[in-house]
Amino acid sequence: MSDAAARPEATKAKTRKKGGMARLWLLLHGWLALPIWAYVFFICVTGTIATITHEIQWLSNPEIRATRPAGVEERLGADALAAAVMEQQPGARLQSISWPVERHFATNVRVTDQNGESRSLYVNPYDGKVQGEQPTVDLRYFTRALHGWLFAPWTSGYSWGWYAVTILGIPMLGSLITGILVYKKFWRAYFKPRLRIGKGARTFWGDFHRLAGIWSIPFIFIIGLSATWFLVEAILSDSGVTLSTAGIPTVLERNVIPEVSLQSDLPPLSLDATIAAAQAAHPGLRVDSIFLPSNAFSPVDLFGRASIPLFSESASVNPYSGEVVKVRGMGDQTVVELVTGSMYPLHFGDFMGVWLKVIYFLFGLLLSMMVLSGMLIWTKRTTKETKAFVQERRAPQLEPGE
Amino acid sequence: MSAGVARGNAQTRIGRWWQDWRFHLSAVAVIVPILCFPPFYTLAMQASGKAGLGAREASELQVGPFPLKIAEFNTDAPIGQGVAGDRKVFSLALCKGCEDRIRAVYLRVGKPRSIRAAGALFNGPPSRMTTDVQLPGSISVNDGLWVTVEEWDGTVHKGDIAIETASPATAQWLRRKEGSQK
Repeated sequence: MSDAAARPEATKAKTRKKGGMARLWLLLHGWLALPIWAYVFFICVTGTIATITHEIQWLSNPEIRATRPAGVEERLGADALAAAVMEQQPGARLQSISWPVERHFATNVRVTDQNGESRSLYVNPYDGKVQGEQPTVDLRYFTRALHGWLFAPWTSGYSWGWYAVTILGIPMLGSLITGILVYKKFWRAYFKPRLRIGKGARTFWGDFHRLAGIWSIPFIFIIGLSATWFLVEAILSDSGVTLSTAGIPTVLERNVIPEVSLQSDLPPLSLDATIAAAQAAHPGLRVDSIFLPSNAFSPVDLFGRASIPLFSESASVNPYSGEVVKVRGMGDQTVVELVTGSMYPLHFGDFMGVWLKVIYFLFGLLLSMMVLSGMLIWTKRTTKETKAFVQERRAPQLEPGE
Repeated sequence: MSAGVARGNAQTRIGRWWQDWRFHLSAVAVIVPILCFPPFYTLAMQASGKAGLGAREASELQVGPFPLKIAEFNTDAPIGQGVAGDRKVFSLALCKGCEDRIRAVYLRVGKPRSIRAAGALFNGPPSRMTTDVQLPGSISVNDGLWVTVEEWDGTVHKGDIAIETASPATAQWLRRKEGSQK
């Protein structure tokens, strides 16, 4: 909202001086979010919570922490960890292991038992002890699904809930641009911040909206842009356009599969050797997760964060020979792919550790309050009009004799 | 009057109510996730296998020496997936101890001529493998759902189950399609 709007007595003169454009920007600024403010507020609040759900879980549940037992110095290697888990889960099949980038979180090991039930286990990375089981819908997944697609179904292509949320990127960018345009010489407020308390709610919320706004410009830009990109991604995917150069998933040829009469005749798969092979083929590859083959013709897949934490890299290894069949380093990806990949960590604030998540959380709170204060400014401004109007209308009705 | 979105000058009671409340009506959107949550949770339980092998009781199916269990993932008719065609997901459980002998399991509608045309490959652990099978336009409800088992030693076994048994919704969907083509 404009400066002029904060001082009603000066309004008339100022708006006239500012001319038509500022008036138009302010009008646009209002119409972009005001009619859907409650929905935008809901998405902002759930998104804000989503940035720190992993930390909330860490604080509230000791099972998810990677606490080093006394006397143990080193973390277990992948094979030793898998062996320890399988000993505690007899009859189960190992599916994947994920080592959270933040090392204070327990390792996540996914197994399927003999009844066909898949479970994600919290495993201590030092001694391989299974500390607990992740609920099928845990706080993190609940919040992300609520914020990301409102739990709407993914039947064919992207969920309509995904569209309903990501489309908000457009009014968000629009609000940012019109907000900057309407706020003449906003940079001066960086040096002379103003937040008047005690001059009424309308003044306070106006000051707050402007002050929070100018300090949140980069954050709102990142969130609005990434959300808009998620929308574009969905539109492209659902219309059959692919920007990926990764090609179809790797399938091992029949002739590379050893001829044995029983699966148990195959040499056992070593995860450590698989990781080493991938790292030899692509020096510097970080392995954050490893997925075991889902059928006899599929490779072991390894994924990890690249040296620039916004990007990711992957490798696929033949489980029978240990031969690396595919590597997708940063250099193998196009600029569009790298940008697409970076949008997720940029949107979540998950690429520089806990402190950045906390910063995202605080800016998320500010953004949520911006939505709320935008609405409050409008209601407070019009309350006076409403009161006057209603009194005017009611007065004759209250006359005796009606 | 200041610039920005105007309040309006409605004369009637309902008009004034609209002026005051119109911008708060989007709060109703909260109903969407509330309504969508139960099916979301059901799906999460199905996807993890905690709600059983499939949406209905699994059917027994003997393929060569192996007694297998097959179930449809959900009770819906096949879903059109654009260029990927109409598709339907099935789950399969191998007999206990059979996984050492079995290299791969495939699924298709209609009897396969060879192992190269055995259809969609099942993925996942032996206690709950899944596959996503395409239902081409040419098939009939009487074609049957054929499961091919390939052993590590190269032996191939075939077995079939009626579409009606494996997925009544798919059978009905096919009959409706056949009816409309006549």
